[in-house]
Amino acid sequence: MSDEIIRRDPRAEWIARNRLHPLHDAMQQAGAAETRGPSGLIRRNPHAVGFIGPNGIKRIDRMNGNGPAVGGRRSAGAAKEVELPLHKVENPDYYVVVVPDMVGGRLSGHDRDVIGQAHKLIREGEGAGAVLAVVFGEHREEAFDKAGVDRLLNITGEAFEGYTPELRVAALEQVEKEYAPKYWLLPDSVAAGFELGCRLAARIGERPATQAWQVSSEEAICRGAGGTTDITRKTPRLMLLAEECAEPIDETRHEVLPVELEASVSVQAVIQDCGQVAVDPNAIPLGEAEFILSAGNGVTDWNQFHQAAEALGATEGASRVAVDDGNMPRFRQVGATGTWVTARVYVAVGISGAVQHLQGIGQCDKVIAINTDVGCDMVKRAALSCIADSGEVMAELIRLANAYRQEVVENAA
Amino acid sequence: MILDWLLPVLISVALLLAVAGMLKRISLWRAGQPEKVSFFSGLMAMPRRYLVDLHHVVERDKYMSKTHVATAGGFVLSMVLILAVHLFGVENRWLSYALLSALVLMFVGALFVFKRRLNPPSRLSKGPWMRLPKSLLMFAVSFFIATLPAAGILPENFGGWLLAAVLAAGIVWGMGELLFGMGWGGPMKHAFAGSLHLAFHRRPERFGGGRSTGLKPVDLTAAKLGVEKPTDFKWNQLLGFDACVQCGKCEAMCPAFAAGQPLNPKKLIQDMVVGLAGGSDAKFAGSPYPGIEVGKAEGGPNKTITEGLVSPDTLWSCTTCRACVEECPMMIEHVDAIVDMRRFLTLEKGNTPNKGAEVLDNLIATDNPNGFNPGSRMNWAADQNLRVMKDVKEADVLFWVSDGAFDMRSQRILRSFVKVLKAANVDFAVLGDEERDSGDVARRLGDDATFQSLAKRNIAAMSQYKFKRIVTTDPHAFHCLKNEYADLYPEGQKPDYEVLHHTTFINELVKAGALSLEEFKGGTVTYHDPCYLGRYNGEYDSPRELLNELGIEIAEMERSGFRSRCCGGGGGAPITDIPGERRIADMRMAEIKETGAELVAVGCQQCTAMLEGVVEPRAEVKDIAELVADALIEGDAPVSKKNGKQAKPNADKRVAEEIL
Amino acid sequence: MQPDKQNANLRIAALVSVGKHPGSGRARRAEQDARAVEMGLAMAPQGLEVLHAGDPHAEALRAYAGMGLKKIRILQQGENADAVPALSQYLGESKPDIVLTGVRAESGESSGMMAYLLGEKLGMPVVTRIAEIVSIDNGQANLLQALPRGQRRALRVPLPFVASVDMAAAAPRQSAFGPASRAEMEAKKADVEVRDEVQASWSEAPARKRPKRLKVVKAKTAADRFKAATAKSSGDGGKVLRDKPASEMAQAVFDLLLEEGVIR
Ligand SMILES: Cc1cc2nc3c(=O)[nH]c(=O)nc-3n(C[C@H](O)[C@H](O)[C@H](O)COP(=O)(O)OP(=O)(O)OC[C@H]3O[C@@H](n4cnc5c(N)ncnc54)[C@H](O)[C@@H]3O)c2cc1C
Ligand code: SF4
Ligand code: SF4
Repeated sequence: MSDEIIRRDPRAEWIARNRLHPLHDAMQQAGAAETRGPSGLIRRNPHAVGFIGPNGIKRIDRMNGNGPAVGGRRSAGAAKEVELPLHKVENPDYYVVVVPDMVGGRLSGHDRDVIGQAHKLIREGEGAGAVLAVVFGEHREEAFDKAGVDRLLNITGEAFEGYTPELRVAALEQVEKEYAPKYWLLPDSVAAGFELGCRLAARIGERPATQAWQVSSEEAICRGAGGTTDITRKTPRLMLLAEECAEPIDETRHEVLPVELEASVSVQAVIQDCGQVAVDPNAIPLGEAEFILSAGNGVTDWNQFHQAAEALGATEGASRVAVDDGNMPRFRQVGATGTWVTARVYVAVGISGAVQHLQGIGQCDKVIAINTDVGCDMVKRAALSCIADSGEVMAELIRLANAYRQEVVENAA
Repeated sequence: MILDWLLPVLISVALLLAVAGMLKRISLWRAGQPEKVSFFSGLMAMPRRYLVDLHHVVERDKYMSKTHVATAGGFVLSMVLILAVHLFGVENRWLSYALLSALVLMFVGALFVFKRRLNPPSRLSKGPWMRLPKSLLMFAVSFFIATLPAAGILPENFGGWLLAAVLAAGIVWGMGELLFGMGWGGPMKHAFAGSLHLAFHRRPERFGGGRSTGLKPVDLTAAKLGVEKPTDFKWNQLLGFDACVQCGKCEAMCPAFAAGQPLNPKKLIQDMVVGLAGGSDAKFAGSPYPGIEVGKAEGGPNKTITEGLVSPDTLWSCTTCRACVEECPMMIEHVDAIVDMRRFLTLEKGNTPNKGAEVLDNLIATDNPNGFNPGSRMNWAADQNLRVMKDVKEADVLFWVSDGAFDMRSQRILRSFVKVLKAANVDFAVLGDEERDSGDVARRLGDDATFQSLAKRNIAAMSQYKFKRIVTTDPHAFHCLKNEYADLYPEGQKPDYEVLHHTTFINELVKAGALSLEEFKGGTVTYHDPCYLGRYNGEYDSPRELLNELGIEIAEMERSGFRSRCCGGGGGAPITDIPGERRIADMRMAEIKETGAELVAVGCQQCTAMLEGVVEPRAEVKDIAELVADALIEGDAPVSKKNGKQAKPNADKRVAEEIL
Repeated sequence: MQPDKQNANLRIAALVSVGKHPGSGRARRAEQDARAVEMGLAMAPQGLEVLHAGDPHAEALRAYAGMGLKKIRILQQGENADAVPALSQYLGESKPDIVLTGVRAESGESSGMMAYLLGEKLGMPVVTRIAEIVSIDNGQANLLQALPRGQRRALRVPLPFVASVDMAAAAPRQSAFGPASRAEMEAKKADVEVRDEVQASWSEAPARKRPKRLKVVKAKTAADRFKAATAKSSGDGGKVLRDKPASEMAQAVFDLLLEEGVIR
């Protein structure tokens, strides 16, 4: 067993991440995550994402592919991927229909939770139920089996591309007719589930449980009153489920048997999708931006700062001092007297972290500080801090971002 | 001689015209809203108010005060005698001599006015005001010469018709300015309007050494809330505007003006005058609102002020620091006027700029300006073991915590103060979650509805309990509780407690020997007077005494005491945040730096926040409560300061009780 | 606000509910509903009718009136009556061109079903989460729909339609006390009042805290469990890089950005 123990090699991992490292290529040849295709381009093997633990159990990547695609190097004798047991439903007594969001063509974490919930309801009930996932349009998901999909109804066709809620609801109505599902489960999400679920509920006259977060076959507990109350009610047929309502499936594989609708769906849609509007990151209202690069009194080269924001694709923010000194417009100010931002990632460049400023970033998930003063409050608040001159770090960031983009372009070619 | 008949005619005509002008002016004021004044006692009190109270303010500028006494005194005296000598023809040589001396007095005064006008400071208005000394001189000289014959110094008919014509011209000029101009809006209008303004002042409490700083409540059932048009002001407010002498003392003190924000209190008052009389500001000859060109503003008695006359930004720039009011020799109430106009913008238009609307919404929904859960008001004191009124029902002192409870920096001040209270064994309790924002910010932002609602609920909470005094570390809450809540008590009830600022209270404790303090061991210290403690409540001494007790010799700033400069934090100004060229707090910090202080002591959490918002390097900012808490010698029985004797055991408790 | 956008003949109904402040739980104007009213005022100040089904004495309704409304129409009904029948009955008669609602109410069930149920009942298309009505031409409205992270999608729908208004829409104007206290609350007993039976069987309690899901690593051996317990999840608080070349630090920052998926 000893030769199967994996030791993480931070340096190697770092080189693997750093595409500009001289040893990067050599390192990648050794790894399996990326290979060179016949044309010499790097091809990624999605199956190699994540790494296998010592016992041959795959460490499931909870970041759903958002994490860096590197793992420990496998030693030569590494166990091959173990096959999870296959869960089969031959002749389902009933169906539980799940309509996943399929953000970016893949199952989201929320989708997996909902499928997990579906199985939980089946386990609690009598008879053999099957989870039927309804997926609209082309998808890129390759692991429906591991997510717990017993039957897959993939409704494709040009008509279903884009924003087509009316058509989709018509299709779901058809599913209702043909499959009479025991439960309808959708993620209560901004992405699609909420809307589709409400439309379907209104159409088929079911009163849904919304923001349901603890559901058994008897009772559903739902958040009400804008998330401030818990409503306990009898479990209805149609539910819009909150994130983390149930554990996702991770110990079985499922059949993913394709099914089809008997009747074709068509509807006179009146909502016309005129396409997504291109929004420049810098034109996104500060309060809605998810990634902000914010400048303070410690920024000296403002051109460089703007370049960095552009290269990283970040929305620009500023401290009051940067605004007062006329380096940034007033509507960019973050803080007590500026905007309260909700960005997931907030990079504070040369900002000391005065209370009034910190107030404005209270809701930010990850704060990164670039500051020369290790003792300043921003460094205390930050998840990651670089104690360095802002100019130098920004120059490097611009270089990295440009290199990364370059590579993406080449890969796409 | 011609003058013999011409003079009485000229004088009569000038007087008649002046009276006509005055009547017209009075009708302009009367277009304002009714307000009860005690008419006769006001008039009776007027001379005293002028000679004592107003003089007291003018006296701060010795040069001007003497000049004014000479000029104005000389003029009033001359005028009376002129009427006797030249209009009614009383032929009495002594009377004529008296008139001559009065004219000389006036002449000398006018010379000094003239001198000041040679190279006037920027705060003074130019225009007609540059003409005034010349007119004064002309008046004095012309009447002097014209009186010489009556005094028998010159022969009758001296100089013939030529001199008579020259004198007549001079007299026409002089009387035109001094009499006609008084009624028709020249610089001398101030004498007429000013004396009536003193008689019918809206805050008569200010005379005789009193203080009246609380804002007047809005009748929330009125058809219109706040002031939209000049005629929405009370009539005596309009009268007050007309009293302005454009001396610019207010301008020189205004922090917003100095910071380049679009506010100049003098111009504002003059714009009110433009509004009440109708017309444009083209003739205004003083400093503009920073960044706003003069000559474009137009208004009329029934025109909306903020549409064309005064930009809302001007109104929102004010920190309500009262520096202008404190300095104004005519005792004009700028802050009242500004808040009245803000009230209209907020209560009727819903146009509180910037974060204003959000803060007000939060105050309505959560009783604190930042929208924190009102149930978390006591979280800061989780480890403090404070007694809550709901449990104890009664205490000597109610510690008013204020919204500092939600702010980490302010919590340090609160904790320090609690430490001091405990060290002195004071019997105190807090309202806990029953306390609400005092309403200060809401009221200054013009939202009197929210202020009144908060105040009434606070009053109801306090009325359930028994205590003798309220002590607070927040001068804004202090001001509201002390000066503004009384208006909102239910019919027939009155506050029956004393309200103290923590510096006053700690000072008492120290004086009574309830605390023993060690010497402060730091560098140079200066003290910043918070506006709402100093100018609003006259407490300049306790903080200083307390610092002295700590062995600190204060390196005073040039602007200190009643002339202290605002930190920029009052009146909701940080919330409306009207852009200027500088930050008020930065200017204040520069003044602190000038004293060489390494530490600035303050007595207000808002000042602390504002001054600490200045980027480093800068002086350290500490509340006096923090300084005292740091200097506490704990465990020891306190040493009485005077005799240095060891106090008896348990004495601290008794002493604390004694002073309560 | 923008007069060029205003449409003299347009008739808009904005449906408002009594909101609830998340901190204090106090009644207030609901944030999304207020945005709906704002949108209505910007589009058709003359043709806007603000509508509420429920208690005409709810003080919070005045907060909408304070935005400059002369009156609010209230279909008066009991506390546990269903708002949809009353509203759809009324709207079916008044036939507005646009019905605006919030996405989800701040009080009660907050299911977000209102817009869809009305759409279904009235036979009008429903558009979800709009940020702006850009223009109206030829009986069609050009809308911007709010997508996450500040993105927008352009939609075109024929009038009449129902739309729910997203938080990304223009912030509502301030509510002023004067107009709020003077506005007319025109209450009329709702023509239909249907008791919400389903709701009657619920139990409601203050929200319980939901534990955040831990990153469980299913470990089969003790060694694994140990590793899972001691492993520091990436980006975990307060990592400070110093005295390293700038390139190295920048790389760490960039890696974190990639990991967070904000580099696109
Ligand atoms: C009522 C009030 C409201 C306020 N509202 C706001 C608000 O809404 N938003 C806001 O931002 N502020 C607000 N402030 C101001 C706030 O208090 C601070 O003054 C301000 O945030 C400081 O800005 P800063 O961090 O950019 O500047 P500084 O405090 O000067 O910090 C500069 C930082 O840059 C670092 N640095 C210097 N040189 C370099 C370099 N070459 N490379 C890297 N780092 C460097 C320094 O170490 C320091 O930490 C408010 C203040 C008050 C009083
Ligand atoms: S308002 Fe008062 S201080 Fe200001 S210019 Fe007029 S008289 Fe002078
Ligand atoms: S109160 Fe202060 S800020 Fe306001 S006008 Fe007067 S001096 Fe200026």
